[in-house]
Amino acid sequence: MGRRGHQAGRGAQATESTEMRRSASHQLKRTTGDRSGRPGMATPVALLVVLAAMVGAGRVAGSDSGPLLSAQEDTTPHSEARLVSDVASIRAGVPFTVGFHVTLDEGWHTYWQNAGDAGNGLIAEWRLPGGFVADSFAYPIPERIPYPPLVNYGYNDEVVFLATITPPPDLGAGGSVRLTLLADFLVCEKICIPAQAERSLELPVRDAPPLPSGDSVLIRRFADRLPVANAQWGTRAARTDGGFVLDVAPPEGWEGSLGGAYFFPADPVLLDHVADQPVGRTEAGAYRVRLTESAYLPGEPQRIEGVLVLPDGAAFNAAGRRGLIVSAAVASANIAWAAEPDEPVAAAGMAVGVAAGNGATANGAGGVSLLVAVLFALAGGVILNLMPCVFPILSLKALGFASRGGDRAGMRRDGLAFAAGVVVTFLAVAGLLMAVRTSGAQVGWGYQLQSPAVVAALAALMFVIGLILAGLFEVGVSLTRLGGLGGSGEGSAFLTGVLATVVATPCTAPFMGAAVGAALIRPPVQGLVVFGALGVGMAVPYMALSFWPALSRRLPRPGRWMETFKQVLAFPMFAVAIWLVWVFGLQTGIGGAARLLLGLLMLAFAGWVIGRWPATVISTRNRLATRALALGAVIVALAAGVAAIRGETPLPAGGDVAAVEWETWSAAAVEEHRSAGRAVFVDFTAAWCISCQVNERVALEAASVRRVFAERDVALLKADWTRRDPAITSALASFGRSGVPLYVYYPADPSAEPIVLPALLTPNIVLETLEKESST
Amino acid sequence: MRRRAFAMAAVLALGLTTVAAGVRPAPEIGKPAPAFTLPDSRGAKHSLAQYQGKWVVLEWLNYGCPYVQKHYRSGNIPGQQEKWRAKGVVWLAIASSAPGEQGHYEAAKMNVESQKKGSKASAVLLDPAGTVGRLYDAKVTPHMFVIDPKGTVVYMGGIDNVPTPRDRDLERATQLVDAALEEGMAGKAISTPTSRPYGCNVKYR
Repeated sequence: MGRRGHQAGRGAQATESTEMRRSASHQLKRTTGDRSGRPGMATPVALLVVLAAMVGAGRVAGSDSGPLLSAQEDTTPHSEARLVSDVASIRAGVPFTVGFHVTLDEGWHTYWQNAGDAGNGLIAEWRLPGGFVADSFAYPIPERIPYPPLVNYGYNDEVVFLATITPPPDLGAGGSVRLTLLADFLVCEKICIPAQAERSLELPVRDAPPLPSGDSVLIRRFADRLPVANAQWGTRAARTDGGFVLDVAPPEGWEGSLGGAYFFPADPVLLDHVADQPVGRTEAGAYRVRLTESAYLPGEPQRIEGVLVLPDGAAFNAAGRRGLIVSAAVASANIAWAAEPDEPVAAAGMAVGVAAGNGATANGAGGVSLLVAVLFALAGGVILNLMPCVFPILSLKALGFASRGGDRAGMRRDGLAFAAGVVVTFLAVAGLLMAVRTSGAQVGWGYQLQSPAVVAALAALMFVIGLILAGLFEVGVSLTRLGGLGGSGEGSAFLTGVLATVVATPCTAPFMGAAVGAALIRPPVQGLVVFGALGVGMAVPYMALSFWPALSRRLPRPGRWMETFKQVLAFPMFAVAIWLVWVFGLQTGIGGAARLLLGLLMLAFAGWVIGRWPATVISTRNRLATRALALGAVIVALAAGVAAIRGETPLPAGGDVAAVEWETWSAAAVEEHRSAGRAVFVDFTAAWCISCQVNERVALEAASVRRVFAERDVALLKADWTRRDPAITSALASFGRSGVPLYVYYPADPSAEPIVLPALLTPNIVLETLEKESST
Repeated sequence: MRRRAFAMAAVLALGLTTVAAGVRPAPEIGKPAPAFTLPDSRGAKHSLAQYQGKWVVLEWLNYGCPYVQKHYRSGNIPGQQEKWRAKGVVWLAIASSAPGEQGHYEAAKMNVESQKKGSKASAVLLDPAGTVGRLYDAKVTPHMFVIDPKGTVVYMGGIDNVPTPRDRDLERATQLVDAALEEGMAGKAISTPTSRPYGCNVKYR
């Protein structure tokens, strides 16, 4: 806001401005009504606009003996205004966009169409050559500007009001046309000053497609802030005691939350501008915004009209639009919502067609049907078995089957218990995820490994399992048989399923992109079905193994080889532990990793104590002593772990996995490069995502790919999701994804749609994508 | 059940604090106007109660505000003040600007300003603490209230229906306070009892 910074000087400023106002009013009185033909106003287009005071005074100074404003006042205006166009020349019959660009001093603002509790929007009047038609100005999404006890709606810093102008079809080429705008607007800090600007724009007329002007980037930037009409978003409104509810149903495939959304009413006497607008969810899964009526409501409104604006970083569609045009009929409160179809959002005249504007609707990636999502989930579940982070656990499972030998009933029970463990865990994780999502947090699949505490715990678990497999010590029946290690029984099989699932989650994202994305935005029951299918898919090979003896006969017989096999399996466990320590190190720094390793050492010591003096062969006294020692070691290990997590340090920008030429991703960076005419390649990645690392090594860092990237001057951006980052989460959501990896290529042509690459990359896939673009 | 109990407790607590603070709710059409007493720029005290039996207009005032200036330099508000005072209406202009803010003047300076602007109000009341402004939830200058002889709020909102600071817009505006007094004093129902209060923010402390 910057208002605070003005506090100190406010008294003086107010006085000065009041003085200015006084002379302004004096002048205004004299000049009101003769706005045309002003001799002193042949000023260049880009001159400062000032307050009415200065316009008036300047005019008078050139004509008669009116009071002159001092030079000091003349050089301290609070705003500038320009008339800009997105084209350098125009052509008969081809519409183009013009913008009224207002730049404001820090702490000053101007208003939206509904200014809120005080103030006024833009009043504009065109002077156009014959046959030219101008649409009314469209307002970019405003900010809420609180000024207790009032609230205004407007713009700080700068704004471009946009209008489309259509030249007549019979306009002759060769000459040029002059477009003139007379604009009245308010410039406000704590006090408000009416500003008047007469601005002209001279544009050549050519018989050629209009080329973008230097201001086209500015216009594009503000066109992207215009609210969009999108019939995929269902909106409806109902009367409540003292206000209204506005229900907003996202389209299928949309991910994100309306938490923090704010509804700007078009009508200044519809709502209380000061009141909070709590956002909730309805039972049907729509978002419900609670609105408080204005004390000045003139009657019963028929419609709720305005713009719903999402907080920074969230978007209504893949193009990143934050404002949604709402026009919903007001129903009486007793109507049963669920029975009727969504009412489409009316396309009000607020959306301006900008030549380069990308009005893409919600991305289709997540819009798969439930059946397709379930099939994807099943297939994805089966593939999960082959993922490196699941493999060691499942190897153990195979070991468990082997130990069962010919006990077919036992194997079947085992298989079912394992399946149950997998499915239940998937459901539990999904339930948790949905609960968190509902509460508004930006969470994506794979989030478990974004928490250092979970990483540390998993590292310790993997390490201890490795120690057990390696034979350092054995766990008694009384201890939990996590992972079914060397044991048997349904309980242990169930726990194997649980463990396998927890470890598998980070691997699901690459294969499950669309299905998981779809599951998370579906109504809870459907989402759970998809997740359940994922679990079933993962358990299928083991159930098959346990049910069909023909398959199980292929399993080796139990024997001494098992011990060897078990010990060999310790190494993948340690490998996983090393990977987890590495991830932890990325999250907490080298000191954190060292503390975690110290903790692991203490766990190893505790394991050694237990293995050296097994409970069954020592006296009670010794047992107490050794177990106390082991417990002590575990406590030290825990303390080390906690210290490691506490010592968490921020990631260096971009993470250390980023090669030198990769810039840190931001939506703004993408926009910047694209508007500079560069193609952009975005690598959405995370340290804990193995597929991401593989893709980077194999494809993105391949010499052939790097060469082509360099040749085509592709801007390379890396979005590192190792730690939770809401901006990245919502960017993923805009592509219908909730996890990494995701590779997106934005062609150099700014109007072209971004291309999403497959989750498994080869150099050829990347090269072909780049090739395809240049050939079109 | 629990939620209801909580809501009741909250309402009760709110009610108690409201009573304790002596605060009445914001004005509503058809409800009694909140009572107040304020000094004017000549030192006299005015309370709403003393005008029982008379029509009262409250006008929130800030001479520095371009919207107020529009209605004064055009003669719109002074003209209405003169016309209705002649018919027995009490027209109180209230300045709620805090000291140091636009529109705040000490009593003597306020008299000079009022004379310069051609004010014909019955009195200009000084509310530098903003107490009465907040009591009426006055948002802007000029924010208008019309109170009938029984002390009931019958109109609140803007002076007219064209919310701009431009003088020339007066030509196409309907003067709503004027209409409310016209209808109200003729014993008719007021056709437009509320409108958008438009203007500058009241410069509260």
